[in-house]
Amino acid sequence: MSIIEIENLSHRFQDGTLGLDGINLQIQEGAFVVIAGPNGSGKTTLIRHLNGLLLPTVGSVKLAGVPVKNDLLRARCLVGMMFQDADSQIVGETVYDDVAFGPENLRLNRDQIGERVARALESVGLRDLAGHSPHLLSGGEKRRLAIAGILAMEPKILAFDEPFASLDYPGVKQVLKQILALHQCGHTILVITHDLEKILAHADRLIIMQQGQIVLDGAPAEIVGAVETYGVKAPCASLLGMEVQSWLN
Amino acid sequence: MAELTSLGFRSGTSLLHRLDVRFKLLFLVLISLSSLAGDFLTLGIFSCLLTALVVHSRLPLKSGLTGLRFFLFLLLLVLVARMVTTPGDPVLEIGSYAVTRQGILSGTLICWRLTIIVLLGFAFVFTTRSSEIKAAVEWVFKPLAFIPGKRIATMMSLTTRFVPVILNQAGETAEAQRARCIENRKNPVFRLIRLGIPLIRRTFERADKLAVAMEARCYTENRTDPELSATRTDWITLVIMILICSLALSI
Repeated sequence: MSIIEIENLSHRFQDGTLGLDGINLQIQEGAFVVIAGPNGSGKTTLIRHLNGLLLPTVGSVKLAGVPVKNDLLRARCLVGMMFQDADSQIVGETVYDDVAFGPENLRLNRDQIGERVARALESVGLRDLAGHSPHLLSGGEKRRLAIAGILAMEPKILAFDEPFASLDYPGVKQVLKQILALHQCGHTILVITHDLEKILAHADRLIIMQQGQIVLDGAPAEIVGAVETYGVKAPCASLLGMEVQSWLN
Repeated sequence: MAELTSLGFRSGTSLLHRLDVRFKLLFLVLISLSSLAGDFLTLGIFSCLLTALVVHSRLPLKSGLTGLRFFLFLLLLVLVARMVTTPGDPVLEIGSYAVTRQGILSGTLICWRLTIIVLLGFAFVFTTRSSEIKAAVEWVFKPLAFIPGKRIATMMSLTTRFVPVILNQAGETAEAQRARCIENRKNPVFRLIRLGIPLIRRTFERADKLAVAMEARCYTENRTDPELSATRTDWITLVIMILICSLALSI
C-alpha cells in the first residue's frame, strides 16, 4: 500500500523560481528511501510538501489516501520531520520540555504527555538526560533529541533532512542506529542527503533529484553506478565494484 | 555557550524551583518594591535572604555575573556619576570635581538596590521554565479580555528562551571578526555596524527556521499549558516573605 502518493507535483517560489517540476512518486508503507541530489535540486522542497509546510502550486500530495492540504494537522501528525539544523528545531529549555512541545500542541492531557515523552526519550536513549539543557548536549545527542521530539507526535513517516551533517563519526553512528531502529519498528523512512556513503547500505530505494525533477529512481544497487552523472558522489565501495557496507559494521 | 546559557533555566529541586511561578512573580515584585523604599538595613536583610537563596538553589553566580558584566559596568557608571554630582561634604577632590560623602552613600544605595533586583531576576529566570512564565502571564492577562494574553505570553516565553542563543550567536560572530583583525579598526561605530548587520540577519534566519520547525510540530496558541497549582509551601512562603518585607521596612 502506498502511504505517500505524489502526482504531477510542481512548486514555484514567490520569486518565480521553479523548485519542483512535475514530480510523480509513490512510496510504500515501511519503505526506507534515500533521496539524494546536489544543492538546490529540490529535495528539501519535496519533503516539505509532505506535511504541508509548503503547498503545491500544481498537482497533489496524498498521505494514506487523503490530500495533505485537506487536513494539515493530520499530515503533521503522520509525518515527523527532522531538519538539518537541530539547534533551530529545539524549543524547550530542558530535554523533557522539548520533547513535550509537540504533544502539548496537540492539547493532550499531562498524563498522556508524560507517557509519550517517557516513551520517546527511552527509545532514543536520552531518558537520563531529561532534566538537562538541550544546548549542552553533543551534536549526536541533539539529533537524537530532535528525533525524540518527532516520535512524541507518534508519526508513521519520518523524514530526515541531512541527518549526518556536521556530525563526528560516533555521532553519525548514533543517529544511524536510531534511524535503523525506527525502520525496524515499522516506520516509513525518508532520508535526504548528498552523502550516500553513510546510509545507502540500509536503503531499499534510491531517488536522485536534479533541478526539481526525479532523474533516477530504483534499487540502490541498480542505479548507484549512475549517480555521479547527476552531481552526487557515489560510495567508494561501489566505485571499486564492491557492495556498499554499513557504517555500523 | 555554557557561560551564556547560565542566564537561562536550569532544572533543579530547590525551593525556588518548586514554588508556583505566580508566587515567584509576586515575591519578585514585593522585594523589588521594598528594596526601592528601604535603606541600608533593609537592603542588608534582603542581601542575606538573596545569599541564602543563591546557596540553596545552587545558582551559578560566577558565570551569571560574567553574563551580567555589562550591567555591572553600568552600575559602576551610575556610582561614579552619583559620587561626583551629589552636593555635600567633599571627601576627595579631583580637579574641578569633588567626590562627596553623600554622593558615595546615595550611589552605593542605588547600585545595591539595582543589584538586588537584577539578581532576583536572575534567580527567577534560573529557576523558572519559560513555559511556566508564559502560563503565569496568561493567567495575569486572563481577566483582561481586550489584551491578547496568549500571544503576549508566547512572545515573552520565546524571547526569554532565545536570549542566550542570540548572545551565543553574537559571540560567534564577534570571534569570527576578531579572527579577521576587526580590532585593528578603531572606529566603534564601524565595528558595531559590522557586528550588528550579520547578527540581525542570522537572528532572523534562525527565527524563520524556528517558526518552520514549530509549525511542523503543530504549534498553536491553544496548547496544553503547565498546571499552575498553589501548594501549602507557596502560601507559607508568601506569609514569610510578607513578614520579612514588613520587618525590613519597619526597622
